[in-house]
Amino acid sequence: MESARITRRRFLRDSARAASALALSAWGLQAGQKASHAQELTFPVERGASLRVLRWSQFVTTDRPIFEENARRFTQRTGVPVRVEYETWTDVQPKAAAAANVGSGPDIVIGFFDEPHLWADKLVPVTDLAEYLGRKYGGWFDVCPQYGYSPQRNAWIAIPIGAPGVALNYRVSWVREAGFDPDPARFPKTTDEFLRLCRALKARGHPTGFALGKAVGDGNTWVHWCLWAFGGRAVAPDNRTITINSPETANALEYARALYETMIPGVAGWLDPHNNRAFLAGEISLTNNGISIYFAAKNDFPEIAQDMNHAFFPVGPVGRPTELHLFSQAYIFSYTRYPNAAKEFLRWVMEDTQYGRWINGMLGYVSHPLKAYTNLTVWRSDPKALPFRDAVARMLPHSYAGRPGPEAARALAEFVIVDMFADACTGRRSVRDAMRAAEDRLRRIYRG
Amino acid sequence: MTRGVARLLTFQLPLAAFLVFLLFPFYWMLVTALKPNRDLYNLALNPLWTWSPTLDHLRRLLWETHFLPWMKNTLVISVGATALSLATSLLAAYAIGRLRFRGSGVLGIAIFLTYLVPPVILFIPLSRIVSGLGLWDRPAALVLTYPTFLVPFCVWLLLGYFRTIPQELEDCARVDGASRLQVMRYVTFPLALPGILSCLIFAFTLSWNEYLYALVFLSSTDQKTVPVGLATELVTGDVFQWGPLMAGALLGSVPVALAYSFFVEHYVAALTGALKE
Repeated sequence: MESARITRRRFLRDSARAASALALSAWGLQAGQKASHAQELTFPVERGASLRVLRWSQFVTTDRPIFEENARRFTQRTGVPVRVEYETWTDVQPKAAAAANVGSGPDIVIGFFDEPHLWADKLVPVTDLAEYLGRKYGGWFDVCPQYGYSPQRNAWIAIPIGAPGVALNYRVSWVREAGFDPDPARFPKTTDEFLRLCRALKARGHPTGFALGKAVGDGNTWVHWCLWAFGGRAVAPDNRTITINSPETANALEYARALYETMIPGVAGWLDPHNNRAFLAGEISLTNNGISIYFAAKNDFPEIAQDMNHAFFPVGPVGRPTELHLFSQAYIFSYTRYPNAAKEFLRWVMEDTQYGRWINGMLGYVSHPLKAYTNLTVWRSDPKALPFRDAVARMLPHSYAGRPGPEAARALAEFVIVDMFADACTGRRSVRDAMRAAEDRLRRIYRG
Repeated sequence: MTRGVARLLTFQLPLAAFLVFLLFPFYWMLVTALKPNRDLYNLALNPLWTWSPTLDHLRRLLWETHFLPWMKNTLVISVGATALSLATSLLAAYAIGRLRFRGSGVLGIAIFLTYLVPPVILFIPLSRIVSGLGLWDRPAALVLTYPTFLVPFCVWLLLGYFRTIPQELEDCARVDGASRLQVMRYVTFPLALPGILSCLIFAFTLSWNEYLYALVFLSSTDQKTVPVGLATELVTGDVFQWGPLMAGALLGSVPVALAYSFFVEHYVAALTGALKE
């Protein structure tokens, strides 16, 4: 009952505490406001402005309503009507190409990889916005400036939006049955250990499956990981010297051949949806994919959702993560009559209230490019989504070790690296011939 | 008895095999559209049948996407582009095949060569024209651009047909006092009906299924055509919603199948008639 008694000494002590707490909080608030004012940025929207936004169609059904709700709130706040147009993610680029060449079309495009570098001179620089967002939200992850900044323009030409991350998807019970710990924290962390797991799974009748067809997402992500994990790379940092024909690439291809022996037959023809189907059908025990398999499983196959988990790609001899994810960024065409409205819209979308709502609603499908968003609720809501949180932090640009640009875009579009791995794995070509064929193709591409 | 067996072996069985071969894709679309998702991914089940059919996929397609406006758009665009292409091709082919003027042979070859230019090269210059005409995001853009690949092929096809029609028939009509237009209307075009119908089917089918121009020139969800709309709404990342997709493919193929079944009869009749001539 001592606490209920108010003595003179206690009154003085508590009053002093309260006064100092008030003083401290007032100082903190003031300092916070000062900092916040220093960080705030708005763009004066042009009179009569309206915006057209072209973006990829939704990966999860919660994406579109939240994005459109954010756009509606922007309209309510600024009076700028926003029309959002959707295309399949692989179809955004041809539409943007037409718009870039015609000089008319959507004001803002949200596309993938190095699209902005294909028409860098036709875009509105967004350095002010990129720097503001970086300052306010703990900085961009390392890969972001490589995609968003144009050395040619000496400016940021795009705002990174995030990346639909790719992780290893595996069946928990089968990994345990193979003698490995299925906990993502203790999942094989090196390429050697990972190969041992795949062999053990295959020996127990649970093959793995990694796409080797023209799979834009799944094919490109795992072969680039494998190539870089062993120190191989398509091009040198000068963006001219082709370096694919190297002992490191040969090691990567030999490793992939060993991995291929653990795979289910038919992967050479697999496109992006094939591994989803095979995993959900119980044909394969392990693959690389976004979080889409897990969501499909939660809806229609709860027993599989229960029995699956995700883990990072293992680290190879280079000793650091070498992942590739589908990187998305937004850019503004300079033909727009409302560049300020467009920048203000992107700022609005990327601010914590809107961005947090959007990314949380997408349930981990897209990983954030700004470090402060590592604390979003979505990354705490479901432990199985956690490996996707660090996708942008762990990734390299697909152009590595060169720069994003027309050459890297073409090499990716022509599946040069995927074809090299497919040739070597299926035995269509020897490792040496596969490297030479890729080298010839890359030389043609980078020579222009 | 022997005659019956012979008929079975030489006619009925091959016909049945042919029918199975032709109709199997439609059956596959139907059965996929009726299967629940759990059955679609369960390889232990019979892939050719479902014991728990559902209309959920159809419901999703019809009420949760813009499928009906897409069908209307596709129909309007296909009919418009076909009519425009056919009218242009008929006059062009007749002029090149029948009228004697310098360079007609070269012109015929040149028109056909334009058919060999892939649309992927043409879509950017065409975008400029469409934008200049103010037709961006309007179905009229496709009605005007589809003839760029329909007209060359139709002209080439019709040229061949016009060359099989004896010149003497036209000469007789001219001697009897018919004008050039009357000759075209009452003599040449009726005899070229098989060719015209072939062009019609060809142009309609290509317009119905075209993807690239429809993707580039149309943007709003409710302005899209069936092929682009289905891909945009029902392919979500690497998840293909097979049930609604197959339902859409099945319903989307009905008009083309109807056009074929309707015109094939006329096509054969016209062909027979032409031979009798």
